[in-house]
Amino acid sequence: MRKSVVVTFFFATVFFVVISWGENLSVLALAESSSEMGIYEKASDNNTINKDKEAGRTEPERAGSEETLFINTPVPEIPHDETARNVMTSGSDVTEKVEAEQSEPEPEMPYIYVKDPLEPFNRAMFTFNDKAFHYFFKPIYTGYNSMVPEKARVSVRNFYTNIKMPVRFFNCLFQANFKGAGTEMLRFVINSTVGVAGFFDPAKSKFHIEKQDRDFGQTLGKYKMESGTYFVWPFIGPSNTRDTIGLLGDGALNPITWISFFFLTPIESLGNYSYDTINDVSIDKGNTYESITKPAIDPYIALQDAYTQNRIKKIKESPDYNETID
Amino acid sequence: MNYRKTISAVCVGVFFLAFIPVFLWAEDGPGKLVMKTIDSGLTVLKEPSLKGPEKTQERRQRLWEEISFIFNFEEMSMRALGQHWKKRTQEEKKEFVELFTNILKDAYIGKTDTYSGEKIVFLREKQDGGKYATVQTKIITNAGTEILVDYRMLNNDGKWTIYDVIIEGVSLVNNYRSQFHNILLKSSYEDLIQKIKEKQDKEETSSK
Repeated sequence: MRKSVVVTFFFATVFFVVISWGENLSVLALAESSSEMGIYEKASDNNTINKDKEAGRTEPERAGSEETLFINTPVPEIPHDETARNVMTSGSDVTEKVEAEQSEPEPEMPYIYVKDPLEPFNRAMFTFNDKAFHYFFKPIYTGYNSMVPEKARVSVRNFYTNIKMPVRFFNCLFQANFKGAGTEMLRFVINSTVGVAGFFDPAKSKFHIEKQDRDFGQTLGKYKMESGTYFVWPFIGPSNTRDTIGLLGDGALNPITWISFFFLTPIESLGNYSYDTINDVSIDKGNTYESITKPAIDPYIALQDAYTQNRIKKIKESPDYNETID
Repeated sequence: MNYRKTISAVCVGVFFLAFIPVFLWAEDGPGKLVMKTIDSGLTVLKEPSLKGPEKTQERRQRLWEEISFIFNFEEMSMRALGQHWKKRTQEEKKEFVELFTNILKDAYIGKTDTYSGEKIVFLREKQDGGKYATVQTKIITNAGTEILVDYRMLNNDGKWTIYDVIIEGVSLVNNYRSQFHNILLKSSYEDLIQKIKEKQDKEETSSK
């Protein structure tokens, strides 16, 4: 009788040790997998994305079921709310705000201060653009959408994107992102030939080479140029001193500008630009603009803030950011 | 003898049972939680019986029931008011949370009406000291446009809740905070509440 109790106790201890060891193990494994998880993909609809994605990676490692795959890539730093940390401009009423903020410390809640001395003018411009969007652009792209199927519109966008390759190529070079520049060159070669003069994007769909969205405003930002004063331009929309210079720079790098300059009359080139813009908006269906301004209490500030936050993110983006994500 | 053996065996069995839940009920990480919630939301959107404009209200309601638990509206309201939060009384805070919840509900549940098979892909999650986490996802539209959406999450005694959504680098809470702050710089808190209520009335009349 005693023996059996001892034996049971012994086994209980052994099991307990095994189980707690196993538990530790599984905890360890979990910790490892979550820190090293890298990319755990779950296609919510079907497996097509997975397949696409998988083919696009240099070293795909397949594990688990069709639905789930783990790929071990190092996790890049995701800064916690740091997107906006270093955007503070000085100004009389701004310093006041800073003091108020300092008295109540709120961790990881940085304010973005936008220098907006031209607010009355900008607000007027914003209203004008808003009206132009709703009463001019929206009817145009709605009609255009009903006539031209989405595939064709995407092709047109691809065509313009391909033509504008020098903008991205040179900005990659300016930002010392030579890998990105090489990528853009490769994309241009593939899309101009296999992609039938750029109407298709086989570089992305077949070879999984991602577009490098670089612009001159971003380049200037990378060289620590401050954003300056906030502007709203007619038709173009929100901008600031730095990005306006950036727009001019991009215009100079844009082959469409050169084509317009040498071969087209001003009206034709305006048409060319507008067509490009409206085609872009038609794919987006004005969603971006409306999703910012529609739910807003003060649409003007909402757009200003969204623009500023988005630009900060683009400038902060490391050259590898796109590659590790896409 | 055998009887005692059986009893001790049962005791040991019960003893072991106590450990099983540790594996089975292990907390979901924030990434899994977000993706599960998104999936259950997508199920509602794909439900054939809930399709069509005449079912809009019912679909929105169902979707709201599926996903709203993951959002921490109080934390969101607190962060959206920022420095102005502390100056408010308990009743004002409660009212504000309610109003802000409604703004977000109207704005973002309404967006799902145009859902047409966009895909949502999990990219990665990163935990920050066990208290905060970021879950990165990507929306792929039918035209092939990719939109990065990050969810900032807060661990409340083992329960992960979303306190901010960041779309292409634009933080939802910061966006509202800029708006509220700008309004409060020029006018009073009562005016702000008034503006939010006006906005809501407009929203309700336009959706009906």
